[in-house]
Amino acid sequence: MRKGAQIVLDCLRAEGVDLAFGYPGGAIMPLYDALEGSGIRHVLMRHEQGAVFAAEGYARATGKVGVAIATSGPGATNLVTGIADAKMDSVPLVCITGQVRSPLIGSDAFQETDVFGLTLGLTKWNRLIKSIDELAPAIAEGFHWARSGRPGPVLIDIPGDILRASVEFGGPVEFTPPRPAEHVGPQSTFAATLIALLQQAKKPVALVGAGVKLSGAVDELQQLLDLLNIPAFATIHGLGAIHQSSPFYLGMVGMHGTRAANMALDETDLLLVFGARLDDRVTGEPSRFAQHAKIVHFEIDPGQLDRVRPCELAVVGNLAETVPAFFQEAERAQLPDFSAWRAVAGGPERDEPRKPGLAHPTKMFLQELFARMPENGSGTIITDVGQHQMWSAQSYRTSSPRGFITSGGLGAMGFALPAAVGVQLAKPDTAVLCVSGDGGFQMNIQELASVHRLGLPIKMVIIDNKFLGMVRQWQELFFSRNYAETDLSDNPDFVEIGKAYKISSSLITEEEFLDPSKSATVARRLDRFFRSDRPELLVFQCHPEANVYPMVPAGASLAEMVFEKE
Amino acid sequence: MHIFHVRYRNTQGTLMRILSAVARRGIELPYVQAEPADNAHKVTLLMEVNAKQVGQLCRDWRAIVDVTEVRPGAPIKELWEQAHLGVAIPPESVAAESARSATA
Repeated sequence: MRKGAQIVLDCLRAEGVDLAFGYPGGAIMPLYDALEGSGIRHVLMRHEQGAVFAAEGYARATGKVGVAIATSGPGATNLVTGIADAKMDSVPLVCITGQVRSPLIGSDAFQETDVFGLTLGLTKWNRLIKSIDELAPAIAEGFHWARSGRPGPVLIDIPGDILRASVEFGGPVEFTPPRPAEHVGPQSTFAATLIALLQQAKKPVALVGAGVKLSGAVDELQQLLDLLNIPAFATIHGLGAIHQSSPFYLGMVGMHGTRAANMALDETDLLLVFGARLDDRVTGEPSRFAQHAKIVHFEIDPGQLDRVRPCELAVVGNLAETVPAFFQEAERAQLPDFSAWRAVAGGPERDEPRKPGLAHPTKMFLQELFARMPENGSGTIITDVGQHQMWSAQSYRTSSPRGFITSGGLGAMGFALPAAVGVQLAKPDTAVLCVSGDGGFQMNIQELASVHRLGLPIKMVIIDNKFLGMVRQWQELFFSRNYAETDLSDNPDFVEIGKAYKISSSLITEEEFLDPSKSATVARRLDRFFRSDRPELLVFQCHPEANVYPMVPAGASLAEMVFEKE
Repeated sequence: MHIFHVRYRNTQGTLMRILSAVARRGIELPYVQAEPADNAHKVTLLMEVNAKQVGQLCRDWRAIVDVTEVRPGAPIKELWEQAHLGVAIPPESVAAESARSATA
């Protein structure tokens, strides 16, 4: 006989899970009671949101399914932001929540919430378990949907009485997905069609998104881009997917993208999109996005097609199959030489105006940090959300598909610190750098306890400008400098907080960093920071009113970038 | 007004997901009917939407795990006009075919 809780753990092990992040509570206690000897390491975080972000970090770093466990009611509702984040950024995630006993469901019992209803709009699939016999099939099905197609989050809600019940258990089962009603895949002639489009094009470009990494098609896409020799750029989630040394790579595109990338995208007459969903941060004003271009969209999720306008050619399928299939045909075809266009698109006249500006010291500091990450690209940089995120993305120069992790689609502050826990546990022998702003760091600051307890050698940096920086920037530019409720000048002493969590902590000011007489000392401190085999916290106090440029204002096209004024 | 016919496996929450795709856009649903159909279920929805929303809704519905088929129907206005001309209102399958070619 196996108890429901044991069945859950057996099934998680059968799905390859050996690590789960969570926080216990009343309804989920039977599951925790069964953990010992289950073969699953549970990582206690200090908030359920920390647990789900850590599970996400683990999943984003490995491509495996991240698992988060929480109790009913407030425990489950605290997972919601992380579930939404996983949905937006296509992260495979399985959340297991406790629920009140079955007879109490719907009675507004203690710590009862309708988490099934709450997460309907945020999950690929979810299930409220109604009998112990449903557990194994539901877990198998949940993992299938989390992993398959466009990855995403699922939730399984388990009443306490089912966790406590016992049954003769025949073992975990496999899930056989129903046959799709209609075959979804690229037309067999797509390669010929695309070749014809390329032969007619004068200014083709390639936009690379997260889908390239999720499908494991990074090398295949690089091979194709090398062949096509057209300007290429990445979304924030596509960073690292294209070799930085590629002569056709123009950097990040979009609201805070490079001038060259945005101009090329604005001028193109043929846009090849690989695993990106053309969201508004990339397109600028949708009605004026790539107005001259035909769009060819390589995408696994048909729901992401035609978002901006109907595409000329949709290549629906896994990029790991469609990209090599196209490469085989393109290799044999007579394609134009786009060198001249590529030279123009990436030419020096398309560089940003080189003005130092207020943001320059912070970007320099980030570049100093990034330069100390392993040269082979094995390290991982995790950022929170805000100005530091954009400066980090602009400064990222490593060709590592899973080397830059951030909350992109949802933009959830508080993501970085717990996600870094998940990343470091996923990759214990690699360097993990966690960059946060002073606002976002405080949203899950309690996870310093997790970092300390686990002894994770995460290098944590707080870019402390004593403002909710990105919001302040928008207030400066669009709300006449009315800095309403963005002042964080009464921040606590983060160094003392770090020390209170028993973490080695220190501070560098922008003045110190820029002082030529202190450059050697600062360099030695940064070297020690990175060489340490313990968790380290470094606070960088910088100018409060530095802005992120270039910037495409809301409602503007990509060609209407704003640069820093003198 | 547009009619949509969505076929689905009646698993937990699937009907709610279909309806939520409409609700999240603030679109009013004056008419919904869900019923068994062959080996599955079918929901018929009537709503006022523009061409862009038709595309969005159909894509959202097709992305739902247990949705098996999505058929946008002909706009009600055309059905009324056909009725006034003495032409029999076409069955669901024919209306869907004409609507599919119109919205392709």
